[in-house]
Amino acid sequence: MVLQADFVGARPLISFQHVWKRYPNGTEALRDVTLSVPEGDFLFLVGASGAGKSSLIRLLIREEKPSRGKIFVDGQELGRMKRRHLPHYRRKVGLVFQDFKLLPRLTVYENVAFALRVLGEPGGEIRRRSTEALETVGLAGKLEKYPRELSGGEQQRVAIARALVHQPRLIVADEPTGNLDPATGWEIMQLFLQINHQAKATVLMATHNRDIVDLLRRRVVAIDGGHIVRDDRAGGYHETLAASGLRA
Amino acid sequence: MRLWRHLVFALSSAWQSFWRNAAVSLAAVGTITLILALAGVNLLIGHTLGGILDQYKSRVSVISISIADGTPLSTVYDFEGQLQGDPRVSSVTLITKDEALAHFSADPQNADIARQIEGNPLAAKLEVHVASLADVAAIDAEARAWRGADPANPTDYQGEFISRMLRLSQWVDWAGLVVLGILMIVSVFIVMNTIRTAVYHRRQEIEVMKLVGATEWFVRGPFVIEGVLTGVLAASLALGALLLAYHPFVDRFHSDLFFIPLGYDPKFVAELARDVLIGGALLGALGSYIGVRRYVRV
Repeated sequence: MVLQADFVGARPLISFQHVWKRYPNGTEALRDVTLSVPEGDFLFLVGASGAGKSSLIRLLIREEKPSRGKIFVDGQELGRMKRRHLPHYRRKVGLVFQDFKLLPRLTVYENVAFALRVLGEPGGEIRRRSTEALETVGLAGKLEKYPRELSGGEQQRVAIARALVHQPRLIVADEPTGNLDPATGWEIMQLFLQINHQAKATVLMATHNRDIVDLLRRRVVAIDGGHIVRDDRAGGYHETLAASGLRA
Repeated sequence: MRLWRHLVFALSSAWQSFWRNAAVSLAAVGTITLILALAGVNLLIGHTLGGILDQYKSRVSVISISIADGTPLSTVYDFEGQLQGDPRVSSVTLITKDEALAHFSADPQNADIARQIEGNPLAAKLEVHVASLADVAAIDAEARAWRGADPANPTDYQGEFISRMLRLSQWVDWAGLVVLGILMIVSVFIVMNTIRTAVYHRRQEIEVMKLVGATEWFVRGPFVIEGVLTGVLAASLALGALLLAYHPFVDRFHSDLFFIPLGYDPKFVAELARDVLIGGALLGALGSYIGVRRYVRV
């Protein structure tokens, strides 16, 4: 079953067109996925482990190429993108992961600044933008701390600041609250909502956190066996399970 | 300016990575030092043997053509002119019968015989310096076909000796190249594995670099510089050891094997220094480039 998004009028920032992904071992991770995400949208991607969420994210950040079909982000077709253009594309996408992916030897400030240092930005610009990103996530007072000195929630905030420092139009988050307690997870969600609302960044988030999905009532895309089985404009996690028979 | 900042980043990352991974880095430097020192010794031996062979070659690349008594001078001059015009010949000297006798008599070893000689039994000669040892046989054939050559003993060409000399010279060159090639390949493998260890230690950093949009060369750069650093450090140590050992070795060689013409050659030492340093840097760059190529794809 293929469901079309019902956001008429808004320009799609992300567009999956009949995308299939088959791995060399024969596993078919995605089957005929068609999905349109307009700019400024906030989308939850839900489904059981192995349903195809991570494959969709890997395709979106162009770690993998689709076996069939086309993926467009901001008008660029990812499958045809040359390797030398990938770094430029990834600078437009802010990535947040469950395990934070911070560098333990660097301070909070250095972790965020690192994302700009690798681009060769001037020192003044790095300072200004890194400090600004850390202020946005509420860590202005912890610039000199090391990741090991921070709580899980604070570490995830650093990772979000690092994703924001490029001022991306798209934030892709893979289980960002997976390692956090419910209260901290909720704080992190507030931060994502704020980024979506104030910075007008499009947010695509894969999650298993049913409470958050049910509370926020945002767009929900459910995947099962590589298919999109539901695409609700203001859905809940529970309805997904009921409708598609997915396991909890 | 951006390029400069990238270079500074790559240099500081390479330096940090080298010392963070100090045990492996220093082990690699030590091993490559030994290999480059062996390569240097190989070059020195090759150069020395080459020098000795060159001296023999220059001796045997001269052939003496005996001129038959009674050959008109114009015939001799014609042939001398013909040889001088040949691009394979570097020089031709005519030695008259009188000059031949004078040379013979001037040698103290020939004093007794010289006193007993009546008249002048020695032949006039054309001494021909052939540019390349490989062409001596052809010039000899030409001389033997010349009607002015003494039919009893036309030239003093030693064909078998020269062909042996040529074969030995080629073997020395080939053996040197093969040894050098093997040593270089081993060095490249050592650098490759050292850099792969560094890549493993920095895998987290590399992953983050890729995620935030670093280019492939930005990620690779520090590893390639680390490889060059390893190669240049090893080359400097190897060169130091070679320079320290070269002079005493030549002195010792001279006193023990005085009949072999081995000398200290400062010009070759300068060439050796250049080759070992450039070789070390290139080996380091090549090894590290191959080492990271597969693992640092964005």
